[in-house]
Amino acid sequence: MLLEVKDINVHYGKIAALKGISLEVNEGEIVSLIGANGAGKTTTLKTISGLRPLTSGKILFNGEDISKTPGHKRVIMGIGQAPEGRGVFPGMTVQENLLMGAYTRKDDLTKDLDEVYGLFPRLAERRSQFGGTMSGGEQQMIAIGRALMTKPKVVLLDEPSMGLAPMLIAQIFSIIKEINSRGTTVLLVEQNAQQALKLSDRAYVLETGRVVKSAPGKDLLNDPSVREAYLGGH
Amino acid sequence: MKGDEVTSEETTPRRNPFSAIGHGIDVMRDWWEHAKVWQRYLVYIGAVVFALILPAPAIGSFMSPGADWTSVLVYPIGTYILLAVGLNVVVGQAGLLDLGFVAFFAIGGYNVAYFGTQYHWNYWATVVMGIAMAAVSGVILGAPTLRLRGDYLAIVTLGFGEIVRITANNADVIGGARGITNVPHPPPIFGTKFLLDPAPYYYLMIVAIALVIIFSVRLQKSRVGRAWAAIREDEDAAELMGVPTFKFKLLAFAIGAMIGGLAGGVYAGKAVFIEPNTFPFILSATILAAVVLGGSGNLPGVILGAFLIGWLPERFRDFAEYRILIFGGVLVLMMALRPEGLLPSRRRKAELREGTGGMGAMGAEVAGPTTEASAEVNQ
Repeated sequence: MLLEVKDINVHYGKIAALKGISLEVNEGEIVSLIGANGAGKTTTLKTISGLRPLTSGKILFNGEDISKTPGHKRVIMGIGQAPEGRGVFPGMTVQENLLMGAYTRKDDLTKDLDEVYGLFPRLAERRSQFGGTMSGGEQQMIAIGRALMTKPKVVLLDEPSMGLAPMLIAQIFSIIKEINSRGTTVLLVEQNAQQALKLSDRAYVLETGRVVKSAPGKDLLNDPSVREAYLGGH
Repeated sequence: MKGDEVTSEETTPRRNPFSAIGHGIDVMRDWWEHAKVWQRYLVYIGAVVFALILPAPAIGSFMSPGADWTSVLVYPIGTYILLAVGLNVVVGQAGLLDLGFVAFFAIGGYNVAYFGTQYHWNYWATVVMGIAMAAVSGVILGAPTLRLRGDYLAIVTLGFGEIVRITANNADVIGGARGITNVPHPPPIFGTKFLLDPAPYYYLMIVAIALVIIFSVRLQKSRVGRAWAAIREDEDAAELMGVPTFKFKLLAFAIGAMIGGLAGGVYAGKAVFIEPNTFPFILSATILAAVVLGGSGNLPGVILGAFLIGWLPERFRDFAEYRILIFGGVLVLMMALRPEGLLPSRRRKAELREGTGGMGAMGAEVAGPTTEASAEVNQ
């Protein structure tokens, strides 16, 4: 098992955001976390990548306990993340943004840059443009590309479809599939449950800081209660 | 790619008197970016020559009719520039809002005064001691507080500045409220004696400023500078790129503090007398104003800002008490019309437009002056 989250609790001040979440991600999978606003999806990702400290529980990566490891070291271990709201560096060019992703690496980067530009030809066209002047979709591409530049074993994607046009959403999801087929494990957080479930091997449904359901993505697509709550009824 | 709704972000021309200046700056910056090495060195040499002839009486009679121009160049102008370059490391490069920067200036000054008068150390040894002590106190201040962000950090640093001043006020070993008198001058260099004539101090100040500028530019272009830029623009994202953000923030604090300590040492070498009230909170605010006015993060801008902030009140001494009022008004007007500062870097402009705080620091997600509501197509 690549990533294992064991019964984690996370608090913002006195408010519990996660109340004993457990999940597993196997190598090569696409796993989704779906749920409403405030369910704890983003907090879960931030805790895995080390941006939030946990109150109790454990996070294992490759069998190693990383609960206390600072975030920047988890990146070196192989956890990459495209954060919520993209977090593109506005004053850096597209290329500089991507190179920031390789900050900890000292090996040759040309191959990886080419690969990212291959996935996102749009970024190649605009490599010397400031990140802050790019559109929402392009910034999402930067965020994903930048996460890939860290050479992650697992990449955490936080709402990659947020605020994008439907055509673009479809494109982003097909790229996620492509990334996965090239060997990177994906942990995806999405409000766009329909698309996410279609893509995922497995998925977890989060509600107010707890996992209420977990099953293969296809099963959840047909699950009446999930359809009711997250897929717009019928 | 097809179907991608790209928002074309044309820069709308600014309709205010500064737009022409802004255009001129852009032209200059383009030239500078493509300038050859020898052209750049010509500019550097020109800047040094300019600095060396600046104290000339012909210039002084216009710049400072009321007071001795060379003295004004040492304090406030030169000292402000040195402090502003130091604060720029913290505020402009790493994006941390420090409202207690004067504390490091005080620590540098007090070290020179204390070890010089009590133990009769060599002046340069006391300066080095001051720099080291400032760095140590930067780390002591930073270690517990740099987990805070934005305005919380600002409040803690403000408190630190006051603690240092009030401690100095109450510590008899460093003279308490009376301060320390007879602070020794620097020993002669190449036969030039440091006495009452301000000229040698001016040239010493120029050397200090030049060294600090070179150091600062080298840092900015290094891996450290890249890490600071990432932290300033998005701290969480920086951590996700593998940047040890806490360590680099601490480093920014320590380096800024060292430059502040150096400024204090140079200042004390000329001042003869220092007391706690030499280091009021308002000095921290003034230096911050210089950095922001000039263009936080851009060295030429910061130097220009510090020059203006140091020089203008001296130049307009005739207006007596009103000058501070006018000065404040001018600052407010400047920031309303040109919030990115007089000489912002292009990168800083892009950050501001995105609305990531600009200062990085206040943690405020304020829309920049030209930001329009994001034109992304929602599903």
